[in-house]
Amino acid sequence: MTLYHFVGLGMVLFTIGAAGFFIRNNAVVLLLCIEIMLNAVNLIFASFARFLYGTEGQIFIFIIMTIAAAEAAVGLGIIIALYRSHKTLDMSLIKDLKG
Amino acid sequence: METVIFWILSAFAVAAALAVVFFKRAVNGVMSLLAFMFGMAGLYVLMGAQLVAFFQVIVYVGAVLVLFAFVVMLLNLKEFVRRLTSPADVRAAIPAVLLAVGIAALTWLALQDGAFAKAAVLQPVAGLRQIALDLFTRHLLVFELTSVILFVAAVGAIVISRKEGDRS
Repeated sequence: MTLYHFVGLGMVLFTIGAAGFFIRNNAVVLLLCIEIMLNAVNLIFASFARFLYGTEGQIFIFIIMTIAAAEAAVGLGIIIALYRSHKTLDMSLIKDLKG
Repeated sequence: METVIFWILSAFAVAAALAVVFFKRAVNGVMSLLAFMFGMAGLYVLMGAQLVAFFQVIVYVGAVLVLFAFVVMLLNLKEFVRRLTSPADVRAAIPAVLLAVGIAALTWLALQDGAFAKAAVLQPVAGLRQIALDLFTRHLLVFELTSVILFVAAVGAIVISRKEGDRS
């Protein structure tokens, strides 16, 4: 169990989240994929805090968790507003910003 | 022993993350993310970051995922079907694959550097006392700013999700 294991795992999880963000259409699942990516980054921060001694890694994690909570609150508010105005959450059907 | 636990937990986390991406219904995705969060909490415990594991369970499982489950049930999303097979979605997978290859290449290049291997040895765990002292002295401003962000986000979420013209 080395730093490489944890960084590799974080990379795999981040890639799964990013790929899911591209291939899914459901807005709620897109937010879930963002949470996966944030958690992958948290894992890498924690592993660097463990292997390169320092408390900064864990403090970074607390701040990222706070931002993730704020992002979830605002994102779900946007989803509710979107559902109210478009009656769907399928992102391939919502094209208001398409130039 | 630790290595075995690491592989079990990481396989669990990867499987749960894949389940989030490939489940058709949003409710199943939220429940898979729950399993994913617990897997991550186990990995944090394995790394000696017990405090982070506690916060992972309290903040993510206790607050964020409940919020997700609440919204999914509120909107009653039953018409969603995975449309991975339609042409638009196959094309959408191309940037995803490119991104995966790019991240893999970047990580591999970064880890080739010998400086990482020399610096990366298992260090003593930062204790709760150390973290608390650092958080409330050196990083106090950042800590206070996060509370401002949470406040702004809470107000913003209410304003965004409110009905138009609802003044009460």
